[in-house]
Amino acid sequence: MNREKNRSDNLRIAGIGRCAGIHIRVNGRMITAFPGETVLAALTAAGYKVLKKSNVRGEARGPFCGMGVCYECLVTIDGTPKQRSCMVEVADNMEIILYEPDNG
Amino acid sequence: MNRTTVEVLIIGNGLAGIVAANRLVAAGADVMLLDENIHIGGQLLRQIPERLGSLRVYHPDYVKKIGFEFIAALRTEKIVVRNRARVLGIYPGREVLIETAEKKVSTVKAERILLATGARERFLPFRGWTMPGVLSSGAVQVLIKSSGVLPARDLVIGGSGLFLYSVAYECLKAGAKLRAVLEQTPLWNKIPLTWQLLHQLPKLTEGSRFLSKLIFSGVPLRYSTRIIEARGNGALAQVVSAPVDGKGNIVSGREKIYPTQLLATGFGFSANIELAQMAGCLSAYAAERGGWVVKTDANLETSLPGIFTAGETTGIAGGLKSICEGEIAALSILRQMGRPFGPAHEKRLAKLLRQRRHHLQFGKYFNLLYRIPAAAYLDIPDETLICRCEEVTMGDIRRAVANGYDTPATLKIALRSAMGDCQGRICGPIIYDILAALTGRSQAEMTPLVVRPPVKPVSIESLASYSE
Repeated sequence: MNREKNRSDNLRIAGIGRCAGIHIRVNGRMITAFPGETVLAALTAAGYKVLKKSNVRGEARGPFCGMGVCYECLVTIDGTPKQRSCMVEVADNMEIILYEPDNG
Repeated sequence: MNRTTVEVLIIGNGLAGIVAANRLVAAGADVMLLDENIHIGGQLLRQIPERLGSLRVYHPDYVKKIGFEFIAALRTEKIVVRNRARVLGIYPGREVLIETAEKKVSTVKAERILLATGARERFLPFRGWTMPGVLSSGAVQVLIKSSGVLPARDLVIGGSGLFLYSVAYECLKAGAKLRAVLEQTPLWNKIPLTWQLLHQLPKLTEGSRFLSKLIFSGVPLRYSTRIIEARGNGALAQVVSAPVDGKGNIVSGREKIYPTQLLATGFGFSANIELAQMAGCLSAYAAERGGWVVKTDANLETSLPGIFTAGETTGIAGGLKSICEGEIAALSILRQMGRPFGPAHEKRLAKLLRQRRHHLQFGKYFNLLYRIPAAAYLDIPDETLICRCEEVTMGDIRRAVANGYDTPATLKIALRSAMGDCQGRICGPIIYDILAALTGRSQAEMTPLVVRPPVKPVSIESLASYSE
């Protein structure tokens, strides 16, 4: 078990005894995630607020309902487009692509 | 093999589903428990997954303690549990089309079905509510409770209903800076308090615990205050609020601006009745039950023989009612299946039905107290999006209604509202309320939208995996 940092800019809540982190890639950039987190949680903790563009006007959209209802958090996961990031857990070396037209 | 048979298929593994599963498995029934979520427990019983952290549950209240005990008691060797599985449709003869976690589509033929599909949050749209940084209050709680992540270190919570206080409590405990809680309902709404509320004393004590935490943290708590705008350049930077009068109209000239990175918003809950509607079960509008609900008889059987429903689908009233109804449905199913049903069972059922009446009274009080006033919909500016998926605005709806498209079905044809990815899960309840506000008609007189399969978007690849 690693020691958690408790900086004010860290969005991960301290004190839950996290195990060792893993790595996932977001639009090619490597970020740290923790097994058991949803893809949405890992993206949120890494500071990503915009996940897709809206269907009609192409406006920036971020997560909304957080529980699989609204389809606003659609991302491409390991090549499969339109995945609800709040309903999938992270896995080591997972490849996430944001703002792909297919996810709109 | 694309087809399996079960005695009882339970759809939804929240409180009602797991209570029913326990009761049915204990009586020797062959049960399958399906849910589209990653973990068992539904929306209420969320916890940090075992492999994420050693501290698993944040501040469980007493309803959740009961719920977690039911999960622990579930004898998984005697029941088929399928998480991350989605129901695409329910067909005559109780043939249920499902997509498993592996994205394979197959049919389950069930002798009896229990729909325990729960509820989702409801919303009152405001200018900018689709902006990144505006999240539902439920989303904020899910991120904290299931993944241990705060969406931002500072936030404003705004909307209506008791749930906001629970989210506020979790955020404060997680170390967030809560700038304000904005509740649009007046502090003293004139709804007669009934003596049945006394039966819910543990819940009320819990509510006061949340409230006292808020007060002692010095968080501004504003009643009769509505969010009117979310502002920011690409992401949220400011929340604008305005006071509302006793009728629910905005009092202009007294707006207040809160700088913040995150807004958590929610206005109570809507029952998830789409699957029941798709199957052909009758639904009804009842303001005291929190909106559109599935019609049932006293035994929680729907209008379709062999299909039962329990929990929030019959009326929004919280966890205790779901626990109670889960057991009522299980007992009704066992009796219908011809399983041994003696005087002890009859006595238990009678007791549960009495409890259910108290829970419904409790729900009625809060559903009427926090009901969104018609004036709130009439105050929505024209440019505000209502259907987030198809990007239909309030102005589009006003014009369509003025042109005679004033029923849920004709409005959908005219504007494509409720036809996007979420299939009207978010805008559906809002549009019914808007139609009622614009036309002055009661929703009870409206014909609900027809729900067709697949009830959730599915890939052609998944469907292609199906063969007879």
